[in-house]
Order: sequence, then structure tokens, then C-alpha cells
Amino acid sequence: MTELLEFLRQLFTDPFGLLDIPVREWVTDAVNWIVRTFRDFFRSYISPPVRGVMELFQWALSSVPPLVFLALAYVIAWRAASWRVAVFTVIAFAFIGFMGVWDQMIITLSLIASAVFFCILIGLPIGILCSRSDWFYTLVRPVLDIMQTTPPFVYLIPAVMLFSIGNVPGLIATIIFAMPPMIRLTNLGIRQVETQYIEAAVAFGSRPREILWKVQVPLALPTIMAGINQTIMLSLSMVVIAAIIGAGGLGLEVYAGLERLNIGQAFVGGIAIVLLAMVLDRVTQGLGEKGPASRAKRSE
Amino acid sequence: MIRAEGVTKIFGPDGESILPLLEQGKTKDEIQAETGHVVGVRDANFEIEAGEVFCIMGLSGSGKSTLIRCINRLIEPTAGRIFLNDGDNGEREITAMDDAELRELRKRDMSMVFQHFALFPHRTVLANTVYGLEIQRRSAEESRKIGLRVLDMVGLGEWAQSYPHELSGGMQQRVGLARALATEARVLLMDEPFSALDPLIKVNMQQELVRIQKDLERTILFITHDLDEAMRIGDQIAIMDAGQVVQIGNPEEILINPKTEYVANFVEHADPTGVLTAGTIALNFNDDQFKRVEDSGELIYFVRRSDPEGARFGVDRDDRLQAVVPAGHRERVELVGLDDIADRADEMASTGRRDDLALRCDEKAVLRTVLKGRSCSTVPTVVTDADGRLQGIIDEPELIRGILDKKGHREQADSNGAGPEPASGGESKP
Repeated sequence: MTELLEFLRQLFTDPFGLLDIPVREWVTDAVNWIVRTFRDFFRSYISPPVRGVMELFQWALSSVPPLVFLALAYVIAWRAASWRVAVFTVIAFAFIGFMGVWDQMIITLSLIASAVFFCILIGLPIGILCSRSDWFYTLVRPVLDIMQTTPPFVYLIPAVMLFSIGNVPGLIATIIFAMPPMIRLTNLGIRQVETQYIEAAVAFGSRPREILWKVQVPLALPTIMAGINQTIMLSLSMVVIAAIIGAGGLGLEVYAGLERLNIGQAFVGGIAIVLLAMVLDRVTQGLGEKGPASRAKRSE
Repeated sequence: MIRAEGVTKIFGPDGESILPLLEQGKTKDEIQAETGHVVGVRDANFEIEAGEVFCIMGLSGSGKSTLIRCINRLIEPTAGRIFLNDGDNGEREITAMDDAELRELRKRDMSMVFQHFALFPHRTVLANTVYGLEIQRRSAEESRKIGLRVLDMVGLGEWAQSYPHELSGGMQQRVGLARALATEARVLLMDEPFSALDPLIKVNMQQELVRIQKDLERTILFITHDLDEAMRIGDQIAIMDAGQVVQIGNPEEILINPKTEYVANFVEHADPTGVLTAGTIALNFNDDQFKRVEDSGELIYFVRRSDPEGARFGVDRDDRLQAVVPAGHRERVELVGLDDIADRADEMASTGRRDDLALRCDEKAVLRTVLKGRSCSTVPTVVTDADGRLQGIIDEPELIRGILDKKGHREQADSNGAGPEPASGGESKP
């Protein structure tokens, strides 16, 4: 009788004390198990290609003399967007150089380039698969939600445990964080292709693969480009966080400035990141609007 | 070329379970209310000859677009069989084909033109035109050559490198037609190809299609909701109502003998002048209508019983028309063929309507040409068959009846749907 009274009392005053779900312990155990079991695998099979791509970009970008870099940036921005964007691009890069963070900018740019490279490499096929199978998409969606909403700090620690500190875990965290829009928008873009075009392709005897590459992907390209644009922007927002676990570049400049309470240093890094973001945004947006598919859409 | 047997399409989760209800004779609305299934096409049977333009006409929702998509199985029919016989490969059952055979069929044997063009916006006009050839894995060089030739045929050679959105609607549909012609498929499925175009451009495109068809002789299945369009280009017309084919016939049969009220409603607003033939509307040359008045030995003269003082028509012993003597004349007058009158239009215009000129026309001439001729002459037009034998007379009453009622004197003979066969020549002659 007293036991029952005691139970009821606790039910009203402290109901959650009655049961303890040890998620904390489960996760710790799980992560420890994953790290113990897969560390060697990750370090010997995942790290090298990621680092290789990253170093290749870094080598390529840093071996271009700054003046040639500016000229190339001008031409690319002009072809992709407009001469206004091109002029802005040159001014922005020059300003970054004059602030004295050119080398850091090159590192950040190669980090982003590698992250975007892997996001497209993995995200595009997954996005295409999602668009072709409702079943697969329902499976992928919660994973994307987790990738996008989990605070990056949470998976920085396991990333470090698996890959140790440096550019690679930073890059891996960036890829995880920046990939969802690529998948989502690829899926959306392909699903949005009007059925009349699919029907026409089918009526001329196209195989599913021909429909995909000759009709669906080209027509989804503006949306896919928007996904790439989002991916770039999200990667940029990760550079400072990635610096906490040892990634270099402009993020490190900001992080180091904050640690030493050196406001000026932090701001220089911050301004450079913003300028880089603006340039990349305008250029990739221009790229998405240039194709004939989007031209047709605008004239409708 | 194409034969459909009992083609039925029911939309809904379990179409096959509805088939018994159809056999019980339930209507589309009843089935929809009871089961939620929609009957798209119900027991369609028809046969299309090679080189024929077969029009399927009906209001929107009558199932015509569904039916045409059953032919190349963009929509899977719930029941029924469809056969293709293209001579070389014998008869093949389309409804029994697997995916690979079906792709082969769509690549080689059937192409399609769509109501809203469905041109690929990211491809140039030429690249759109050669899409089917690309799928056939033809070489780029060969595709290009064929593509440019077909574009020339539809009058768009200059536009090969443009994008579809730079073209007007009519031009876009020419590209759609070019894309369908390029694969050299012998069957062309056209799903309301001209419905989205302006009226003038529409007529233009119809003429263009008739012209191209004359050279290429494809078998065309053409969907439309416009009876005039169907009559202008169709050799055969199938009329659909609520998923059912209610009447099949050539334009004139449909016009003079609509089988249901639904068809009659369409016919009421149709323009008969390009469809009705002289043979159909003419007052038949027989005992009931004509009376022998004079036998000169060489020629026998007749007058209409309704107008004994009117024009006299002279035929020889073989019923061949030889002379026309208009009312108020003693001697026969000049007799001119309707085809020749066009060449003398200027001369005729200056003289006004003459009472000393008689016109003769073939029984296959359409009402419009008869009307044109009547503007030159007041004498009743005489109708003859291919051998020159007198078939009948067209005067004002016949013209008015033809235009307003879309009926001719011959309708009773046609009521079994046999078609406007030349009226039996001699036996009932006076």
C-alpha cells in the first residue's frame, strides 16, 4: 500500500525520475565501437582520397600566379555571369590579397572546391536515385534532415576521433553539412521536369537511361545548379567551425583571432570569407541562369 | 495497317475488376459513382488502312487522347488487342509486346506529335528534329542530313539552329511534325496537333499536312475536337462520346447520316460545302423525278416533273448527257465542265450570270465548287458519273437543302451506312 502511494507521489512530482533512458551511454559506446572498429578503415581508405583531392586543388590554385588568377577569375565571372560581376570579382580578390590573407584564401578556396567536388560526386547520383524511387527517397529524407539539423559541433568530435585533427576531418564535416541541398534539389529538379517532355521521349522509344541524360538532367540543370550554389554557401559557413579541429585557411584566421582576442585579425578573416561567398554566389547563380533550359523557362 | 479489337481503358486502382460491369452495360457515370473508377475508353473497334488519315473526333473527356495513347501503349489498355500490320513484318500484336519490342516499335514504326508540341527546350530545332534518330543510334552526320531535309519539308530550314522558345506556336508545331517525320515511321500518331494554334495558322497547317501526306503517304491517326478539321483532312472519321466510338465513316457519311444525337449536334455546326458531293445532293435522274418529253431519234429529252416548263436535258441511248436546253431557249446551249470554268473566271465575271451557259460536274465534285459555278450560270447544274452518264440535276432547292440541312436526295439509299456509292446507273431510268 505504501509502495503504491510512494509510486503515485513520484508520478505526480517527478514522473521522469521513474525511468532512465541511457542514450548518453549508448552513443558513447556506439561511437567508441565505431571508432575502434573502423578507424583503420577510415584512415587508410577515406582519408587519402579526400586529402589527395584537397591537396590537388590546393596545389593547382596556389601554383597560379596571383595576377593570372585575377585575370582568370575575371574571364570566368564574365562568361558565367556578366561584366559587372567580373569587375566585382577582381576587386574582391584584390582586396583579399591586399589585406594580406591571399594564401589563407587559397587554402579555403581549395577546401570548398574539394567539399563541393565530393558533394556533387556523391550527392548527384543519390539525388537522381531519390527522384526515381519514392521508396528510396522516404529512406533518405530523415538522413538528410539529420545531416542538416545536427549542430556540426556534435559530429566534430567523432570526426576527429576517426580521422585525427587537420584538414581532412574538417572537410568531411563540411561535406556532411553541405551535401543535403545537392541531393534535395537534384531530386526536386528531376521530379519537376514536365511530364510532356518525358512522354515525348518515351514515345520516340528512349530507354530510361536516355530519358535521364538527354531530357531529365538537362532540364533539371537550373535547379541542380541552385543546389550546387547552396552547397557552396553551406561549405563557406563551415570554414570557421572546421578550423576548430585544425582546418586551415580563412577560418583559422577568424578562430585564431577570437582565441587571442585579436579583433582585427578575426575581422580580416571574416571580411575575406564574406567577399569570397559573394563572388562564388554570383558566379554560380549566373551559371545556372545561362543554359538554354532556363532561358526557355524565363521566356514562357 | 492498324486494327483495334475491343480496346478498353479503365482508370483506377483495379481496372480489370470493372470489366464485368461494362459487360452488364452500366454507363460511365454509374461505374464512376459506384466504384470510383473512370472509364476512359470502352470497347473501341476500328481498322485503319495503310496510307489513310483516320481522325478520332470527340469533346474533351471523350477518351480520344487515351485511345491514341493505347495505340503506342503510353497508356496500358485494360483490355482489348491492337495489331500492327506493315506488310514487311506481317501482323504483330502491339498489346503483347514486351518493353524492348515496344521501344523498337516506337523507334521505327510509330512516331507522335503532341498537342502542346513537347519540344525539348534545351535542344535546338535541329537537335529536336533528330531526337528520334539519335535514339535509333544513327550517326551524327546521317541524322543531320535527314534532319535538315525534313526541316526543309516543313519550311523551317532557316531555323535549324534556333531554340524552340524563339519560334511561334505554328512554327513550333512544324518542328514537332518534323521530329515525328524524321524517324521515317510509317504510322504517325497526332494528338490534337493543331488545337493550340490560332485559327488562321491552323488552317494553314492542315493544308500543309495534306500536302506532305500526299508525298509521304504515312498512315495517320489524328485526334481533334473540331469536326471541320476532321472533315478537311480525314479519310475516315471515328466519333467518340463518353469513351465509346459511336460512329465511324467517311466525312460525307457522317455529315448526311449522323447516327446519334451527339453526332448530329456536331454536324449541325459543321461546314458542308467542302464535304458534300454533287452526287449526294443532286435530284436523282429517275422516273419519279423526270419525264420524257421528246425523242429526236439521236437524243432523248427529259424535264423535271416538278418544273415541266423548265430546262430540258438531252441524253443519248447510253444515258450520256449530250445537251441542255434552258427554259426559254429553243436550241441547246454551251456546256462547260466546272473544272474549266475556273480558267474563264475573268470572262465570266464581266458577263454576270448567264442563262445561255450550262455547267456539268462530276458526281464527286464537292458542294463548294458547284456553288462557285452557279455564280456564273442560272441553268441547273448537271451531274454526271465518270463515263459521262447523267446522274442528276442540282438547282437552287438542292443547294439550299444541302447547305442548310446537310442532306441530299440520296440519303435514304445511304441510311445503312454503305457510303456514297455511285447510284445504280440504268435500271430505274425512264
